[in-house]
Amino acid sequence: MRTTLVLVAAALGLAAGAAHAASYPERPITMIVPFAAGGPTDVTARIVTEHMSRTLGQQIVIENVAGAGGTTGITRAAQARPDGYTIMMGHMGTHGAAPAVYPNLKYDPTKDFEPIGLAAGTPILIVAKKDFPANTLQEFVAYVKANASKLNEAHAGVGSVSHTTCSLLHAQLGVSPNRVAYRGTGPALNDLVAGQVDYMCDQIVNLTPQIQAGTIKAFAIATPERNPAIPNVPTTREAGLPEYQVSAWNAIFAPKGTPKEIVAKLADALDKALDDEATRKRLADLGGDIPDKQGRTPEALAKLVQSEVQRWAQVMKSTGGGSR
Amino acid sequence: MSDKTRGSAPERSGGSGPIRAPQDFVAGASLVALALFALWASADLSQGSLGQMGPGMLPRATAVLIALLGIAIAIGACLRPGPSLERWGIRGPLCVFLAVLAFAFTIRSVGLVVAGPLVALIGGAASPETRLGETVIFAVAITAFCIGLFKYLLNLPIPVLVIPGVVVL
Amino acid sequence: MGDLAANLSLGFSTALSVQNVGLAFIGCLVGTLIGVLPGVGPIATITMLLPITFGIDPVGALIMLAGIYYGAQYGGSTTAILVNIPGEATAVVATLDGHQMAKQGRAGAALGIAAIGSFFAGCVATLVIAALAAPLTRVALLFGPAEYFSLMVLGLVFAVVLARGSIPKALAMILVGILLSTVGTDLETGEERMTFGYGPLAEGVDFAVLAMGVFGFAEVLRNLEHTEAREVVKHAIGRVLPTLEDLKRSVWPIVRGSLLGGALGILPGNGAVLGPFASYTLEKKIAKDPRRFGQGAIEGVAGPESANNAGAQTSFIPLLTLGIPPNAVMALMVGAMTIHGIVPGPQVMTRNPTLFWGMIASMWIGNLMLLVINLPLVGVWVRFLKVPYRLMYPSILVFSCIGIYSVRNLPEDVVFTGVLALVGYALIKLGFEAAPLLLGFVLGRLMEENLRRALSIARGDLMTFVERPVSGVLLAVALVVLVLALLPAVRKSREEVFAD
Repeated sequence: MRTTLVLVAAALGLAAGAAHAASYPERPITMIVPFAAGGPTDVTARIVTEHMSRTLGQQIVIENVAGAGGTTGITRAAQARPDGYTIMMGHMGTHGAAPAVYPNLKYDPTKDFEPIGLAAGTPILIVAKKDFPANTLQEFVAYVKANASKLNEAHAGVGSVSHTTCSLLHAQLGVSPNRVAYRGTGPALNDLVAGQVDYMCDQIVNLTPQIQAGTIKAFAIATPERNPAIPNVPTTREAGLPEYQVSAWNAIFAPKGTPKEIVAKLADALDKALDDEATRKRLADLGGDIPDKQGRTPEALAKLVQSEVQRWAQVMKSTGGGSR
Repeated sequence: MSDKTRGSAPERSGGSGPIRAPQDFVAGASLVALALFALWASADLSQGSLGQMGPGMLPRATAVLIALLGIAIAIGACLRPGPSLERWGIRGPLCVFLAVLAFAFTIRSVGLVVAGPLVALIGGAASPETRLGETVIFAVAITAFCIGLFKYLLNLPIPVLVIPGVVVL
Repeated sequence: MGDLAANLSLGFSTALSVQNVGLAFIGCLVGTLIGVLPGVGPIATITMLLPITFGIDPVGALIMLAGIYYGAQYGGSTTAILVNIPGEATAVVATLDGHQMAKQGRAGAALGIAAIGSFFAGCVATLVIAALAAPLTRVALLFGPAEYFSLMVLGLVFAVVLARGSIPKALAMILVGILLSTVGTDLETGEERMTFGYGPLAEGVDFAVLAMGVFGFAEVLRNLEHTEAREVVKHAIGRVLPTLEDLKRSVWPIVRGSLLGGALGILPGNGAVLGPFASYTLEKKIAKDPRRFGQGAIEGVAGPESANNAGAQTSFIPLLTLGIPPNAVMALMVGAMTIHGIVPGPQVMTRNPTLFWGMIASMWIGNLMLLVINLPLVGVWVRFLKVPYRLMYPSILVFSCIGIYSVRNLPEDVVFTGVLALVGYALIKLGFEAAPLLLGFVLGRLMEENLRRALSIARGDLMTFVERPVSGVLLAVALVVLVLALLPAVRKSREEVFAD
């Protein structure tokens, strides 16, 4: 008798859960973007969710919770109720490098989330001031190795994409140049254009117009293929530093425990958004890298997070933690 | 340097003891206390050198300067007459503080529908001029206005009504 | 010159389309109304309203956003004058004399002069941008970290001049502000400074929280105690608009403020924030009777407000010519442009002249809108002051709490504001002023970052600040202003022993 009762209760519970999931979403969904409005991740999120809202039939409202390289917002999102009405846009920093950069991190990227899927990544470029005494990546590498202590590298603060990606570069080249922190890529780029600092590693979005206008020079792009917006910039593979492959990927996550059906619905909506012509064009205008079909599944994302966490842990160890 | 516009009416003759300007003396002492607190709070920060300034250098330097100013002000208070300490109100600051706390605790757990009136009512208690009936009506009205403006007109993600498990507006 | 005329006519023909005029109007109106809400400054306003612009074409969207920006700036000044709550760093100066004027029943004059001064400043700034945008950017690029540091030192010296009362106490407040600005995660090393591991403090103290607590709520507490001082506000409001006398006195401050603010706004890295402070200092120093400042001198509103608006407009220059946003608001504009498919860069002027000149023309139109919208609104605001205080202050509390919460969606921010309110109350009781504290806070962070950056690049050579010409000049000026500021105080202290 008791067993039957338990089974019936379980079946009802499952049915209720399934019914709940079947009618998802019944009201607007909140997506937490852990950066200030207007930045590359925020813009990517807005472009993608605009289309997803149409597929899901409910609006996705963006909530910006900026701070600490994005970890403040992600911490908040991780602790939200896993009912599918709070999701988040994380990226290479928050779900890859964060454990290595922030010793007191309050979440574990590999355990506390349900991956939904990759949205779009922005390739990283190595750029330098106009008067930098090198014209190709090889010359740049040689110069840096010889003169590291005299050079100034600009970045947007510990934990930012420009900081972690240049940490990787320094680790691979085995150099320790002087690192100058700025509050955001705007000021950093400004000083690069003015020639006050020597070089930086940053996302393509901010840099394209400057490269096209010739106010800074670009040595290489760290992806397997050249980018149509700046076709003259060789890839790191072509230019002689093939091991430097890095892209600031952005991805959607949900808190751990979000029901599988809801995860599947979100993943499907994301997939449709990434197939839509208009959305793809807007993302491409940003220089964004749209993942192919295999790269879009939740499983692929989970694997990516695992490998990224390991990779950045190693990089940070060899460059001695966050500050250098 | 008239104090008229700042709304305080200090008695001009200060204390008759060694401290001739009690307000300034307490002010100076508070500064020193703040500086000491800051020095303690930043004790674990690296100082660095001038060439590579560490995170601790400016806070510490500032704290030291504050302490010095505090001492100077306190000494000045012993040498020159000045205003004595005013009475510090209890009802006003307490009610406003509690009102703000009430908002903070209820905004996400219950929503603006409750947080708004709470602030208006508890805050209203801070003034002896408040009339209860009037304030209640006003509290409801202003909350309704805010909900309409912020939530529906501007689409801000502010929780309006949260009943756990039932509805989240 | 012919070129300029041609470009401007292209711009105006774009900006004067019915749609774009309408968007400018809506932007200014909405921006003003939201900016008036205590605690909500331009950044919060634009972030709130950004999604509304998604359905519109890029030029139209930018026109509307720019309108929201100026509107919010002006709305912030309105709140500063009416209820002593500065929504943004640039509105702090408006509280000094503007709020005093409001207390004396002259709120209308203050608000009116602010609107008129802003319009004039806007016209000047528009012309400057149209004619000199490209060469000015080159000047801006001369400013490196060392120059910014010296500029901030100059700004901090202005803060001393701003002080109404005791100089040592003002100095102490500036230093406390600087100390507060260091709380948070260190930019260079990632270490947390004085946060005690508390999450919401990791990004430092938010300006809105500080201003609201130490200024706004503390002012409420003060008013609750001193019912007599409040009665003044309810007296005959008198002339709602500025008198001829007011206008005459304001002419030169407005001109000087516009030029000063416009010049500072060009500097990337938020040079615009110094505009109002520099203008106030200048007016106070050259006035025949400096003691009027701090008691409701109209020059103390006219100059800074003009500087404010001029700076707000010229701060578009680095964005439109270099494609690099000089401050957080412009970064939002970049985001908006990007979402609409325009990536701002050095070639926007040549590749997308409709956008560039359309924006410049619409800046002028936006200024006109502000005047048209705000002058009548002055009457509304002034009547608003007649609401019995026992009803007004709870609404200030409610709006402020919502405003603070909406900045980062963190209840902890609201709690912190409450704590700071008690601190502000203590400050008043101990005879400290809050304005230098806020200034020290805003400038402290900028100053420290640039100090460390400059030293890092110069590998520790302190002489870099003096060797680099622009930096050296700025430091020299700062020294001169400081001496000028302290001299009367030294003389006065000798009198004080006999007076009072």
